[in-house]
Amino acid sequence: MAAGARATAGRRRSGRPPRYSAFTLLRHGLSGEQWPRVWQEHPLQRSYDVVIVGGGVHGLAAAYYLAANHGITNVAVLDKGYIGGGGSGRSTAILRSNYLTPEGVRFYDRSLHLYDHMAASLGYNVMFSRRGHLTLAHNDASLRTMRWRAEVNQIQGIDSDVIGPSEIRKLVPFLDVSEKARYPILGALYHPPGGIIRHDAVVWGYARAADALGVHVHQQTEVTAIDVVDGQVRGVRTNRGDISTPVVLNCTAGWSTLVAEMAGVRLPIQTFPLQAAVTEPVRAFLHPVVVSGTLHVYVSQTDRGELVFGASVDPFASYSTRGSLEFAEGLAGHVLALMPGLSRMRLLRQWAGLCDMTPDFSPVMGGTEVAGFYVDVGWGTYGFKAGPVSGEAMAECIATGRTPEIIAAFGLNRFGEGFLVGEKGAAAVGH
Amino acid sequence: MTAAPMRMRLGPQPGEEIDRSRSFTFSWNGRTIAAYAGDTIVSALAGSGERVFSRSFKYHRPRGLLTASYLDPGCILQVGDEPNVRAAHRQAAAGMDVRSQNTWPSLRFDVKAGSQLLSRFLGPGFYYKTFIWPRRLWPVYESVLQRFIHAGQVSPDTPLAAADKRYAHPDVLIAGGGPAGMAAAAAAAQSGARVMLVEEEHHLGGHLRWGGAADLAALSELRDLVAGMPGVEVLTDAVVAGRYDDNWVAVVRRGLPGGAEQLIKARVKVLVAAPGLIERPYVFHGNDVPGVMLSTAVRRLINLYAVKPGERAVVLTANAAGDAAADDLRRAGVEVARVVDARSGGDIVAVRGHRRVRSAELADGSTVPCDLVVTATGWTAPTALLNMSGDRPVYDQRAARFFPAELPEAVLATGGIAGDGSRDQLIEHGRAIGREAARRAGRIRRDWQAALPGRTVLDELAVLDEPAGPANGSAGRPSAGAAEPVPVPDLPVDAHPELFRGRTHGIVDFCEDVSSKDIAAAIGEGYDSIELAKRYTTATMGPTQGKLELVNTIAIAAQAAGKTIAETGTTTWRPPYAPVTLGALAGRELEPVRYSPMQPWHEAHQARPLLAGAWVRPDHYGDPAAEAINVRERVGIIDVTPIGKLDLRGPDVPKLLNLLYVNKWSKLGIGRVRYGVMCTEDGVVFDDGVTGRLGPDHYLMSTTSSGAAAVWEWLENWLQTAYPDWAVHVTPVTTAYASMNVAGPASRDLLTRVTGGVDLANEAFGYMEVRTGTVAGVDGCVLWRIGFTGELSYELHVPAAYGLAVWETLMDRGQDLGVAPFGVEAQRILRLEKGHLIVGQDTDGLTRGFSAALDWAIKLDKDDFAGKPELAWQHDDDSGPRLVGLQPDDGSVVPPEASQIVEGTGVGGTGVGGTAIVGRVTSSRMSPTLGRAICLAHVEARLAAPGTQVTVRLPGGRLVTAHVTEHLAHVDPEGKRMRV
Amino acid sequence: MIQIRCPWCGLRGAGEFRYTGDVRTRPDPASVTPQEWRDYLYFPANPCGPVVETWYHRMGCRRFFTAERDTATNEVWTLEEGMR
Repeated sequence: MAAGARATAGRRRSGRPPRYSAFTLLRHGLSGEQWPRVWQEHPLQRSYDVVIVGGGVHGLAAAYYLAANHGITNVAVLDKGYIGGGGSGRSTAILRSNYLTPEGVRFYDRSLHLYDHMAASLGYNVMFSRRGHLTLAHNDASLRTMRWRAEVNQIQGIDSDVIGPSEIRKLVPFLDVSEKARYPILGALYHPPGGIIRHDAVVWGYARAADALGVHVHQQTEVTAIDVVDGQVRGVRTNRGDISTPVVLNCTAGWSTLVAEMAGVRLPIQTFPLQAAVTEPVRAFLHPVVVSGTLHVYVSQTDRGELVFGASVDPFASYSTRGSLEFAEGLAGHVLALMPGLSRMRLLRQWAGLCDMTPDFSPVMGGTEVAGFYVDVGWGTYGFKAGPVSGEAMAECIATGRTPEIIAAFGLNRFGEGFLVGEKGAAAVGH
Repeated sequence: MTAAPMRMRLGPQPGEEIDRSRSFTFSWNGRTIAAYAGDTIVSALAGSGERVFSRSFKYHRPRGLLTASYLDPGCILQVGDEPNVRAAHRQAAAGMDVRSQNTWPSLRFDVKAGSQLLSRFLGPGFYYKTFIWPRRLWPVYESVLQRFIHAGQVSPDTPLAAADKRYAHPDVLIAGGGPAGMAAAAAAAQSGARVMLVEEEHHLGGHLRWGGAADLAALSELRDLVAGMPGVEVLTDAVVAGRYDDNWVAVVRRGLPGGAEQLIKARVKVLVAAPGLIERPYVFHGNDVPGVMLSTAVRRLINLYAVKPGERAVVLTANAAGDAAADDLRRAGVEVARVVDARSGGDIVAVRGHRRVRSAELADGSTVPCDLVVTATGWTAPTALLNMSGDRPVYDQRAARFFPAELPEAVLATGGIAGDGSRDQLIEHGRAIGREAARRAGRIRRDWQAALPGRTVLDELAVLDEPAGPANGSAGRPSAGAAEPVPVPDLPVDAHPELFRGRTHGIVDFCEDVSSKDIAAAIGEGYDSIELAKRYTTATMGPTQGKLELVNTIAIAAQAAGKTIAETGTTTWRPPYAPVTLGALAGRELEPVRYSPMQPWHEAHQARPLLAGAWVRPDHYGDPAAEAINVRERVGIIDVTPIGKLDLRGPDVPKLLNLLYVNKWSKLGIGRVRYGVMCTEDGVVFDDGVTGRLGPDHYLMSTTSSGAAAVWEWLENWLQTAYPDWAVHVTPVTTAYASMNVAGPASRDLLTRVTGGVDLANEAFGYMEVRTGTVAGVDGCVLWRIGFTGELSYELHVPAAYGLAVWETLMDRGQDLGVAPFGVEAQRILRLEKGHLIVGQDTDGLTRGFSAALDWAIKLDKDDFAGKPELAWQHDDDSGPRLVGLQPDDGSVVPPEASQIVEGTGVGGTGVGGTAIVGRVTSSRMSPTLGRAICLAHVEARLAAPGTQVTVRLPGGRLVTAHVTEHLAHVDPEGKRMRV
Repeated sequence: MIQIRCPWCGLRGAGEFRYTGDVRTRPDPASVTPQEWRDYLYFPANPCGPVVETWYHRMGCRRFFTAERDTATNEVWTLEEGMR
């Protein structure tokens, strides 16, 4: 790749986006020259080979891998708002692969691998920070579940083990590991490869790389209908015009059932808000990601010093993304139960995203009964960490017409056949 | 050490809020600073001549006063162990230890300021563009980036600062205690409303506080009016942190002892937003040099704290506030070198200086030496509470600010956020809004009452439409909304020049060190919607929450994209409106803990506690294996109070039992007990327990401890939504009884000594039967002959108040029989020896009935029961794993629970080295009875046949062999011991 | 927190209630096909707009009742009346 590649706006590019590096930073700094655009604006074409609905990490990753791995570049990614404005931008950006089922572990491990190499392969620093990931156990039932996960993880070759309070205290001195705590910390599942990432950077990195390969990213473009004739997708209608296409990939979250309904496909999904919040920054004191399933809280500290908090989904289904006070209260109570020293830290901002909850806490991926209509939905509260592998697998699924083995367990037909994915097992085992 | 003299302190000012009779000192970066009561930390520092309080985030440029208010981004300091204190708001206190944050080695000389030289390379998102190669070095880069974190420090030893929360019930809550808010409060109260008036600063009055004599006179009048008005609660140093759905409002009181804050929650009938206006910084080169201040900052310093902001000033003014600031400066003895009038095209091009302003370059080409530059270039309407109420404020180009668009009925706005006008016009507007708020509150209150069945609507009194004076006590609450809407005068809207950025680039976001150049560059790179530009540059993401910088950000982004402000739109203001401490949100820890009535005995006998949901139970009393043996050989007693108990009455109880249990219940005789399993509609095991028939239409159901609440709800759900015609009454009696299980061969002997009215002989009271009678002199006890432990045993449900007495009596009377308590751990051993499953441990969220070895219980010939179709299909296709008994071949090895059962390499496995998971150990213990390891396990159906050998992978990877046993029970599979 | 009108207790904060999902018709277990049954189990109504649901006044009168709720705005209209 020529360091001096100066792709200018409007010129059709193919291949890699202009290189970012310390050298180019220096050169631009010295010359004061404007950086090239990260992605181009295109008119909406009358037809595309593939139309992807949803410009979050899933949709953009799928577009990128369609182009990069399969040479399918006549692809449009449509987003009704701006890219990364849905779940991707609202996610707490925690990455891990310590799932309960072998199929889950394998899948997320591949995602982690792609994340690990993403900065280099996309030429965009996504700031993946392998802080380690701690899931605390406050009672013996939850300790048993941690052991279960550790065993499955180890068999799959994942670095994951149960550790005791003294080791936990060493990793996070702020945690109250005393026995007097209302929720004593009996142990934790420790997963060193887990960590956090800059979620926006992932979205932008994929968009930029896909754009360089010829993919069209259309923001402010809302799908209003999907044309299906004789059980085959023919096109989509949008607020900016109609597109003819034989393939539509539904990569939305929150609105996935509404988009699928346009194609006449029903999904086993209900939309729930998931809230998150961020504090003012303080100096770095919390290295790993800390999760408590019993208390429904997860905490990490960003490179900017803010604590990012998340919890479980709201108690009732809704499309409203207005936050609630109860969330902030419960969250603060639980954080202080774990780390009482933080009572004077201030909550700065709370927000909500929409989550597609499925009956078995696992996604719905692959083809549907409508030919050409694919789904990559049902991502619950864990979609962000699966973005790269989902994009890779869905691209393969569309390009080859075959369901890749890595997503075989996540087909829509499993619900009719009664073979739910086992991640539900742990969720229902007393936390 | 003596304090530095207050060299910038002025003589007494008419509206000053300091008490010169009370002075004290505090520490500033190790130096001693003098202050008066009423000083903020920063006013005291400024009074002593300090000008630099912090360093900026990215470039570590010196930062001084900008707003002299809570929002001041350069005045965020560490106080003791409290980080990020808003030191231009927080009042100074004697002995405070105040430090600048994140400066090294000192505020005066900060080595990280070297990054200023690199500023041209640290454009927006520079970190996305570098540190990419080599991949392995990113953690190193990251730790360098973290050192730049612009914030204070927390300590793990900080004591928990949390105040009890409070619920308030005002009719009208007014956010903002300026002239309009005060007038609204008084008027609403006068109309009979209960009012809460919340002011973020330490005193009511808003901008009147730093005004001239007429303003101060009006303020005094308003303060007297509010103070004399019954029904108005005034909270100062408190802020409306959020308006949530249905006017659920959070108020945070600051400044409680120990740095705590209190959360007040109120379901407000009408919310009045009167937050005033926030003065907007002006963007130009050097706009962050210490000594560049807003006009309101200057006026606050002079008039509230009697602090002289500088010696020689240049004032850029586009409005009356700027003009007034120039007057104030002159009065304070500051030389006003130049007043630059933006209304007639005057402009500041740049400010020169580093640690302090040295000069200002003006648009007319002149350079004016000065140490103070004051800007008054416009206002931002803090519309956050309106956004949270569903409003989308609209931009008015003529006034250069946003205005409310369409408010819901329960939200009103007054004061600067609604318009301009004279002081009297604002007060008049506030008054009308207050009356209208009271009127609406009355109507809403009536609607709420009407929603309550069986209540007549109160307040049918005529409305007090124009009361002459304060409402008398009997008038009470606002009256029904019979009255017409109160006419609210329109506030005039003054024209104001649109001033966001001048002719040069400067800082837009002072917290994040984002310049206008950065925002323009981000737009140019393609991050061209406001949301993307905001995220890419991090503008508006800092501690001031965008209140100072959002409108400038939008304007500069709009300009760079060639759009209007209206087209560019606004970003969503999200709660909270102001930062809130976690301590306030959490309040006092109020999670309940449940104990049985026998807890004092357990504690006196060294019981080791076990947390089980909300319950605290004895895990063991020292030696669980010995406790188990004692049950097998003599008699033990366990406290099982947490077991769920539901009293069921009515002729249709058998129908309900048949519907919710998988087995049959129609023919249960009086005095008989049956074990039952419940499944959810997907066939998954949900709960188990025993139910006994106490009388013709009277049953007692027991559930698992953790399932008690869910089962009750499950019963009610079916009864109320599917079969409302069934005559069944369900009463939860879990804690009405203290429950204890007396188990072991000597249990009958023991109970015979204390029981009255029940013949305990095996022929009279057999296994799986229930009786009521007297135990230890206590009437109304229920005795169950059941056997979770596998021994002859009686479960007693004793009226809770007598639990401890009965327990002590049993312990006392059974001494010669060897009675001893046993805990949950011994019970787990005993039940595992007996092969009894625990729902949630030996089953999981996908375990259907036939996977839990419940074939004997599931009666598919019943017409219907919850989960029947799935169970029928499971029965047909034989799918899912199986629960089996398992014994390691080496009986000394106890595989920990959750150990995986695997098939080794070459079996087409899926794990590393082809290891396939084919099951897991769900329960395991060393059996004291058998002297060997015993387990329950889930295995694939093909491995479930007795005698099948499987491989168990122990944690760490060691493999051991084990075999499937014939029965789940490892001890007494025939159940003889329970039936003696 | 939204308010919900319990037919028996009046307007109360949503925190007192348990959401038990959209109202679905339980197929006859005697004749149901796996497809129909799993439709009932796993495929909820998920409109962005009004939906009829069952709520349980868990911390109040402990009555189940039906209400219509707009999932976009969370406005609730209770469809039952308690005794007047």
